[in-house]
Amino acid sequence: MSVGLDNLKHIVVLMMENRSFDHMLGGLMKANPKINGLTGNESNPDSQGAIVKVQPNAQFQSQLDPDPDHHFPGVDLQIFGGAAPGPGRKANMMGFVKDYFTQTNDVNRSHNIMSYFTPDKLPVLTTLATQFAVFNGWFSSIPGPTICNRAFAHYGTSFGQVGMDIFYIKDPILSIYERMVQAEHTAKIYYYDQQSSTMEIVNLLKNQPQIFATYSQFIGDCNGGTLPEYSFIEPCYNDHPGPGGGQVLASDQHPDHNVQEGERFIASVYNAIRTNPALWQSTALLVVYDEHGGIYDHVVPPSCTADGYCAEPTNTGTSEAFNFDRLGVRVPAILVSPYIPKGTVVSGPEAAAGGRIFEHACIPGTVTNFFLNGDAKRTVREKNASTFLDLLGDQLRPDSDIPFFNLGGS
Amino acid sequence: MATPTNAIFVPKSHPGSYNKDRPAGKLLQSQTLHLREALIQHLQELVTVLAIDPKSLKTEGDVSAYIHRATAILHTHSARPPRK
Repeated sequence: MSVGLDNLKHIVVLMMENRSFDHMLGGLMKANPKINGLTGNESNPDSQGAIVKVQPNAQFQSQLDPDPDHHFPGVDLQIFGGAAPGPGRKANMMGFVKDYFTQTNDVNRSHNIMSYFTPDKLPVLTTLATQFAVFNGWFSSIPGPTICNRAFAHYGTSFGQVGMDIFYIKDPILSIYERMVQAEHTAKIYYYDQQSSTMEIVNLLKNQPQIFATYSQFIGDCNGGTLPEYSFIEPCYNDHPGPGGGQVLASDQHPDHNVQEGERFIASVYNAIRTNPALWQSTALLVVYDEHGGIYDHVVPPSCTADGYCAEPTNTGTSEAFNFDRLGVRVPAILVSPYIPKGTVVSGPEAAAGGRIFEHACIPGTVTNFFLNGDAKRTVREKNASTFLDLLGDQLRPDSDIPFFNLGGS
Repeated sequence: MATPTNAIFVPKSHPGSYNKDRPAGKLLQSQTLHLREALIQHLQELVTVLAIDPKSLKTEGDVSAYIHRATAILHTHSARPPRK
């Protein structure tokens, strides 16, 4: 076991919303070819058959309105380029522009789905990606929307769901929070505030209210040294009035929310951990996105261990059932710890050998293995999921080598 | 702690970004449906518990079961802001 793992007491996961790897981090490949981003020549055909290349012109807001489709049939089109479901069809990542056209009905606007940020636009995410560990092969768990993908982060499965519908847990599989609490460990979900609340409502908020707290409590727990062993943070999901007549901006980065506000939120989570020296040295922070939000990524999602469920065609919205045996589109994922060597790139499916595949079932899988010695009823999918704490090494990086975010800017 | 060489400046969001009149997307609409469903479940449980006449509870087992259910309902309301 490494020194970093020996000292690890806390795992914190911040799950953002609806941005693809290439959109947020693809521009990093120019400076570091190990990062599996964009060459600038990746393209999709538009609805008129014209070739549309990726463009480094992503904007913080107003560019992806209407919200790009990220429900199962739309993502199927994005991944398979419009080939009808059936044996032998191959994923080609060629249907993003066509799919966005179905929403915009505007050829030029449909090209916006190929936009990506230059690294200077995202100083927080790109700093973390280049200073700590970035995953080339972290995928959303399902080629579908938020709720079912987030379920994989909480339970290691979505219990057969591929959409946003309400579902009830009928299997003896507990959420990672319940597993931890039952084993006399500590765990919390921190939602931003009561106006934003949580996306995990029907099963957890209703039945396990004691595992929830607000983001201000997270800050207090970081300052006071009372952070639980496992924490999951939800950003603010909507614009709403703040206390004293102020304005609270959505920080989830879901289109069409302001991406810069999400940057500031990620920085504030990082700073809260970073500014408590004892906590900083004993915490691993994973920043990850729930799904790609319909935005272009060039990497074909790989197959995965089926988790024993099947979504029928009536639920997938395609002519085909889904056996949860392939992953969704790739998303940004970064692991932060002072025990991670600067510039770590975790190779993914692009590697000829040794590439590693991650998805959201890796989160409860890693937490269960580390804190509970793997002792919990789990799906086969979660049991087979990769874990990520081996990235923590023996060397504690000096404070002068670790970035700090200045949020006081105008 | 932070030194000038390792401090990264993070710009503030554009002041005009705030728009509470932005149409709610599918995710937020779904969130409200889920909350409503959870509230209905609460209501059903509340109605069921309120239908029990406490005078009908004769044994400690009866009483403890009632207390358990009633406390669980009240506990879930503990997240409300404190009264001023």
